[in-house]
Amino acid sequence: MAILEVVDLVKDFGGVVANNHISFDIHRGEIIGLIGPNGAGKTTLFNCIVGYHKPDAGKVIFKGNEITGFKPFMTNREGIGRTFQLMKVTAGMTVLENVMVGSFCRTENRNFAKVEASAILGFLGLDEVKEYHLNELPIASQKKVGLARALATQPELLMLDEVASGLNPKETEEMVNLLKRIHQEKKITLFLIEHVMEVVMPISQRVIVLDGGEKIAEGLPKEIVKNQRVIKAYLGERYAKDL
Amino acid sequence: METLRDAFDFSDFSKGERIGLVLFTLFLFIFPWLGAGSFVKAVMIQFLLFSLFGMGWNTIGGYGGQVELGKAQYVGIGAYTVALMMVWWKIPFWVSMPIGVLIALGYSFMIGYPLFRLKGHYFAIATICTSLVLQDIFINWKLVGAAKGIELPIHEHPDFLYMQFKSDTYYFYFIFALFYVGLFYMNWFRKSKLGYQLRMIKDDEDAAESLGIDARWCKIKAYSIASAFVAVGGGFLAVYNLYIDPYSVMDLDLSIKIALMSMLGGAGSMWGPIIGSAFLVPLDRFLGSWLGAQKGLIGVDFMIYAALIMIVSAYQPRGIWGIIEQFRRRGA
Amino acid sequence: MIVLDALLQGILMGLLFALVALGLTIIFGVMDIVNFAHGEFLMIGMYTAYWTSLILHVDPLITLPASAVVGMLLGLASYYWLVKYLLRGPMIAQLFGTFGLMLFLRYLAQFLFGTDYRIIQKGLLVGKTLPLGPFILDWTKLSTAILSLIAFLLVYYLLHRTKLGKALRATALNKEAAAYMGIRTDQMNALAWMIGGGTVGIAGGLMVNFWYVYPTVGLLFVMIAFASVAMGGFGSIKGAFFAGIIIGMIEMLFPVFGHLIGSDFLGPHFKFTVVYFAYFIIVVLRPQGLFGWKH
Repeated sequence: MAILEVVDLVKDFGGVVANNHISFDIHRGEIIGLIGPNGAGKTTLFNCIVGYHKPDAGKVIFKGNEITGFKPFMTNREGIGRTFQLMKVTAGMTVLENVMVGSFCRTENRNFAKVEASAILGFLGLDEVKEYHLNELPIASQKKVGLARALATQPELLMLDEVASGLNPKETEEMVNLLKRIHQEKKITLFLIEHVMEVVMPISQRVIVLDGGEKIAEGLPKEIVKNQRVIKAYLGERYAKDL
Repeated sequence: METLRDAFDFSDFSKGERIGLVLFTLFLFIFPWLGAGSFVKAVMIQFLLFSLFGMGWNTIGGYGGQVELGKAQYVGIGAYTVALMMVWWKIPFWVSMPIGVLIALGYSFMIGYPLFRLKGHYFAIATICTSLVLQDIFINWKLVGAAKGIELPIHEHPDFLYMQFKSDTYYFYFIFALFYVGLFYMNWFRKSKLGYQLRMIKDDEDAAESLGIDARWCKIKAYSIASAFVAVGGGFLAVYNLYIDPYSVMDLDLSIKIALMSMLGGAGSMWGPIIGSAFLVPLDRFLGSWLGAQKGLIGVDFMIYAALIMIVSAYQPRGIWGIIEQFRRRGA
Repeated sequence: MIVLDALLQGILMGLLFALVALGLTIIFGVMDIVNFAHGEFLMIGMYTAYWTSLILHVDPLITLPASAVVGMLLGLASYYWLVKYLLRGPMIAQLFGTFGLMLFLRYLAQFLFGTDYRIIQKGLLVGKTLPLGPFILDWTKLSTAILSLIAFLLVYYLLHRTKLGKALRATALNKEAAAYMGIRTDQMNALAWMIGGGTVGIAGGLMVNFWYVYPTVGLLFVMIAFASVAMGGFGSIKGAFFAGIIIGMIEMLFPVFGHLIGSDFLGPHFKFTVVYFAYFIIVVLRPQGLFGWKH
């Protein structure tokens, strides 16, 4: 069953068509990667799905219901969680409090929220930093907190915006394992925007490629790396021809 | 019930803070018998009243991070409701006050809805506008006394129905009670779902939205709570002063003072408004009476606040409590 | 006929409002700070003109350069001694910072000059009128309008035709990019405050011919300035011009409107209330104003 259907999505910023008739499906339980050169329209697509932008045309259907144009808080309540590529590093709330806010999405009771939040922090290995503030943590931990927050809202589809950016190889490997665990143990569908191929390719079941606002390829990772159009988009005409 | 327990549970504060709170409460309790003069008593009452105002402002301005400068209109709504109901229909305080709160809530929802489409500076200016508009209307509205205001008829003292007393001691305990109700409410509020959500909105509104929070609606709720708080204070003012007019209860200066108390003490913290009030109210009264007595020095008291505001804004926007916390963290 | 007269008066006042709004919008455009003390700068400009003309026994119009200079110095001082530090902090601090400046200047004036209302009684143009067809125009207001227009055009010229002006506009558009081009943000900020203070100082100097000067006169005009800037679009100079005129017209037309529908309640005492109300409506319905960019 398709948990997310994007049908003919268009987003025009008045000069630049960031998303030009994009369509694809994501099925429950999948891990889907979204790649493409800078400026391809990946983040715009994300934002149109979660509701940060309103699409100019096309539809977004989640769990069979149309959510096109829903505001971000509404899409979240429907079951879509998201992380941000660049998190605002704040000093107002502790890590635990941050995650509790996520939990509060599904409960009215503070103690319950606290318990749930602690559990998620434990799951992600963030127990020790519970009482710290975001501005006191290294980037890898900050990213994990962002992940924890989103997970606390009990999403069925988790959308990750460049979750591996800024991480060193060891941290990247840790993140990949974490994502696998989230997928398997929590049974959450994952949709990732990524530039770091070491993250996308090993774990994605399917990869969608955008370039210049259009979808230029979709398929298994091993097919995508050999796809002429994809190579051309990233490396230019020469390299594609040589192959 | 969990809510009640939350209100009285101060366990997440440091030992020092808790001891301080207990000592403070004891001090206030026995204060009327310490033999202070009527001027000092009046200052204490002002202090508690402004702390109450400040706590209210703090919900939306401090925790919510939405600096608003129009609280005085709600003081006015509370004060006028109580005063008018008493003058026109002889309605006792305990009936008119809740009605005043309801009116304040209703009005705040009504203007809150369009108001929270705005953010930052635009929002702040808009709150000033709404307050000025209401004040102007009241100044020119003959039905409610226009610029002359309303004088409340004096009843036999002590009158618990209409809350009129000869001795300041009664008023002191009255505002003392209101202050503590406010304090317990704030203690509950900061631990409630709305409290957490509001703090998230202040920190990172986009992230908050991505976590299922309807930011606009949360802000409106906090704004209305603040308005209710402040309206209660307004009602108190009506029966305390026995005279109200648009300049004394709806003025922009009042709005500024209220916001300032919280900001100076530490917006977004539990004790901030109280500290700010403790600092500014006596300063205001004593400076005012001392300097005012010396002719030609009008306005110097405000100049001092203003200088304070500028210094605090430039160097420590988190107020006095922010400074205290900085020391604590360094020491820790 | 009363309507046309009100319209004409409105345009005259509106040109003044436009000048007042100009400084505010420039400062906002360059560094995203709302100068709450703007009205107080105006007030100081007024007092400067008043006292200078009284002490030197000259017509207030001749004292305009003094008002301009005082305004510019005030703007510079405010920037270097306060605003520069505020820029480092969160928005709430900036808001309160300029707010504090407003209170400080207002009560300083009260302290120095007392709360009396003063007005220029003698002058070249005071009390003289110019008959223009069926209308009678006050020379004071007319000269104010003409001089405001000239001042406005001068600033416009400065901003669009000189290198310095272009540097300022570049900083307003994108301060980092401008900095990479060698334009020092700090200097541009100071320049913005200098222009802002100077223009509103001139406006004050003009007003003293027909408006009472007292320490709290600033509040009213800063609110009018806010409404003009909001309507015109924060940061837009063209916007400040047209919005100022529109607000001037609204303000003059409102009492006429009230009179025409026979309402006693909706009278001239509300003419400024209408302006506050207008700000609210504009900013909620069309936050970018007429010419501004969306925030």
